[in-house]
Amino acid sequence: MSNSHTTAMQSGQTLGRSQAMVREARHLLFTVTPGAAWIILFLVLPSVYLMAVAFMTNGPYGLPQMPLSLESFKQLAGFGFLGWSPGNIYTLLRSLWQTFLATALVVIVAYPIAYYISTCREKWRPLMLLAVVVPSWTNQVIRAFGWMNLLAPGTPLSSFAETLGLISPNMGLYPSNFAVTLGLAYNFLPFMVLPLYAAFEKLDTAQVEAAQDLYATPFKAFWHAVFPQTLPGLLAGVVLVAIPAFGMYVVPELLGGGKGMMLGNLVATQFSGGSNWPLGAAGAILMLIATFIGLFAMRRIGKRLGGGEEVVI
Amino acid sequence: MNKRAMRRGLTTFWWLTVVFLYLPLAVVMLFSFNASNSAARMTGFSLRWYHQLLGNEQIMSAFANTLILAVISSVIALAIGCMIGYGMYRHRHRKLGWLIILIYLPIVLPDIVFGISEMAFFVQFHRLTGFLQPGLTTMIIAHVTFQIPFVALIVYSRFVGLDPTLFEAAKDLYASPVKRVVHFMLPTIKPALISAFFLSFTLSVDDFVISFFTSGPESATLPIYIWGAIKKGISPEINAIATLMIGAVALAAVFSLMFNRRRA
Repeated sequence: MSNSHTTAMQSGQTLGRSQAMVREARHLLFTVTPGAAWIILFLVLPSVYLMAVAFMTNGPYGLPQMPLSLESFKQLAGFGFLGWSPGNIYTLLRSLWQTFLATALVVIVAYPIAYYISTCREKWRPLMLLAVVVPSWTNQVIRAFGWMNLLAPGTPLSSFAETLGLISPNMGLYPSNFAVTLGLAYNFLPFMVLPLYAAFEKLDTAQVEAAQDLYATPFKAFWHAVFPQTLPGLLAGVVLVAIPAFGMYVVPELLGGGKGMMLGNLVATQFSGGSNWPLGAAGAILMLIATFIGLFAMRRIGKRLGGGEEVVI
Repeated sequence: MNKRAMRRGLTTFWWLTVVFLYLPLAVVMLFSFNASNSAARMTGFSLRWYHQLLGNEQIMSAFANTLILAVISSVIALAIGCMIGYGMYRHRHRKLGWLIILIYLPIVLPDIVFGISEMAFFVQFHRLTGFLQPGLTTMIIAHVTFQIPFVALIVYSRFVGLDPTLFEAAKDLYASPVKRVVHFMLPTIKPALISAFFLSFTLSVDDFVISFFTSGPESATLPIYIWGAIKKGISPEINAIATLMIGAVALAAVFSLMFNRRRA
């Protein structure tokens, strides 16, 4: 009798526990499903479709068609009806080159700035960081438009460049590849300052003092005691700048003119004007590959940095 | 190199960078008050471009679209993102790697890939079913998609910052889950919700690329209008709209920061 009682109780308990587990699982399902379903339906599915499009054939009106083929990738490499043309390859190389230039420029500006902020009085630092971030709250079209106004022919900056002999008369600094580099650097400067600042803030100054005590030259002290400590922040910044810069659409479109096209413009044109979806999708795949390489690098850096997730926003 | 000279050099460099950062915005704001339509020379102060805005129907409709899009998408994203943020908190001991990847996806995907994926999807969906013609609805869907992660992460971090025993106390106080949500959960995360709303709003107003590719002929927002106007040839009106947008977004962002600070 007592025996059957205990089994009943035991089974009641396990029943209670499994009920609780079911309730928890249902809770998880209830809270997470709407958001997860939304992202899957309206982002994962469309991106998967886009990737599939890259392997289809270009049909009338630029819409994708069966059969499957690698035609779009050949076109991306420059093979068209009229044989090989270097246009797309130039665009790809220009994207890489502009990304490199802009990232380098951003590093040159952000490194001293991040260091400077970290050495200022503590109460000023948040305000200074805010001052760096605020311009990026403005719509990027408006920011690019601001640069158009500044660099157009006849403006003080253009006239100055003219007197220095940097540009031919009445050309203006925009549209040009230089304007694109500048616009890209302008857009992504905060992305570099923030992770670098985080690195400088944690800087172990004892190492620097030790180096100085050992009569290291300032350069040697910097190179052996400071630079290695800021490297994770620097690399994180490079990823945060280079990846979005590589796929940038607005800046080259507005500041670059016809000869400043980058991969983002090539892709966009295939979906609006040029109308060759598979070709555009192939370009998008290239961008995705670059993004995932960047994310992978970021994760490795993140492990060394010890969790730098705040950097994202 | 002596230390003081280096310090002075750095300070100068800092102020030069500040000028670099604000010059393009300052120029836009300055020329919005220009008396002539020159984009290179300031000839006098006037409010004529602002007057012209009010009379321009296209701009007014773009303004209305921007506002409708931002408000509706932010409200939907707030509801969905809030739930997912709470789910992530409550079940944080489970393995939710797939969910984290899903949530970070809209943040890490390049804008242009995001935009054209949605466009390709909506266009084909419309061709097959007749539903979801590119327009305000598709734009709202796309905006909600990139707003959800930010809301979820803000709400999640607010919950993580709370004392876990509060949840036990709430359980003792309020028997029904609905009452717990209304009287405990929502009031405690209110600052996070307000902050998330303003951030979503800012993200929506700031977005150009994704809006551009998911919009229809009737659903141009202000950034899309500005884009078109720039492409057609610069009109000084753009400076006036841009100035108003810079002001509005700065205000919303400040609100978002203010309410996000409070949790500390």
